[in-house]
Amino acid sequence: MERSCEEIREILVDYADERSRQGWPSPLSPSESNKVDEHLDKCDHCREMLGALQRSLELAQVIWEDSLAEAEKIRIPIPHRIRKVRWPRYAAVAAGILLVITTSLLWRERVKPAGKEVSFTEIERRINESGSAARLLAAAELLAEYPDAQSIVKQQYRYIVETYPKTTAAAKAKLKIQ
Amino acid sequence: MNEMNSDFAADAYQAAGEQSSKQKLDIFLAELGRLKRIVAGLGLSAQDGEDVLQDVSIKALKQSGKCRSREDGVRWLIKVTVNRCLMEHRRRRSFHRRACEILKRRAANKAAPKGTDEKVIDVEELEIVRESLWELDDSLLGPTILRYFCDFNSKEVGQILRLKPSTVRSRLREARMILAMRLLERGVEP
Repeated sequence: MERSCEEIREILVDYADERSRQGWPSPLSPSESNKVDEHLDKCDHCREMLGALQRSLELAQVIWEDSLAEAEKIRIPIPHRIRKVRWPRYAAVAAGILLVITTSLLWRERVKPAGKEVSFTEIERRINESGSAARLLAAAELLAEYPDAQSIVKQQYRYIVETYPKTTAAAKAKLKIQ
Repeated sequence: MNEMNSDFAADAYQAAGEQSSKQKLDIFLAELGRLKRIVAGLGLSAQDGEDVLQDVSIKALKQSGKCRSREDGVRWLIKVTVNRCLMEHRRRRSFHRRACEILKRRAANKAAPKGTDEKVIDVEELEIVRESLWELDDSLLGPTILRYFCDFNSKEVGQILRLKPSTVRSRLREARMILAMRLLERGVEP
């Protein structure tokens, strides 16, 4: 590219705007415009560039206008709807939900079969049983490592199963016997 | 302003309560057309555009008493919208519609017969420009949209984006040259 081309290209965009947008105030002085005119008369490259500048802007406008057709359909949600809480409506919904939950709880309570209530003493008893059974099982498992003690171990397992039948240790002992 | 917007104004005034917020909303409504152009210029879909404009309207409601004049308010609003759109533009990969779709819609929407001065638009050319717009850096795309699609002059663009007018002009030059060069590089004869 010649030096004069470089100089012209510095102002070619303004020149293109001046020519394509008549209403806009020109950023170029008359002498600058004349200089570009004269240069374009003899330089094919800059003429081509001018064409490309104008064409690319036209095409960009087509793309933007196409998007604008879509953007025009935008409806802005009213900001106050975000801020303003419609209390009566929400209160009615909340009351409805509360009513449904209460009714279902009461209904369940009424239709529920009368089950045995477990007392704290019973819970304590079960914990103690489970603990004792687990301890006995652990001891039996230690003894099981000695071949001479096999008959004692089996007796121990049976004892656990019979004495603490509802415990986890009893279930394990049962498996060992089998 | 359409009916929806006047309803919007009345309701929003009631909710905002404060005079300054009213002014901001007033400006928002008055500039809504231009804000939509920014949304469109940055290639956002209607859905994304709606989200952006809703955010901006809420910001306008919240931001009270910070602008000295109406012009300041307009500049603030446009700057916020441009920034939000640019963020969305990069996140959502805007300019999603391909050139052939654009031309199809264009042909379908044109009620009047084609003007004799309008050149036939080539799909390939349009696609090159679309891609180039997409690849254009934010620092170039923002000023380009404001200048060539929203019709602000370089000084106004500078005030909105807080840039010197000379910086705006050089960015516009750079952006225009990139778009033109892409057409020439791909062998399109303008």
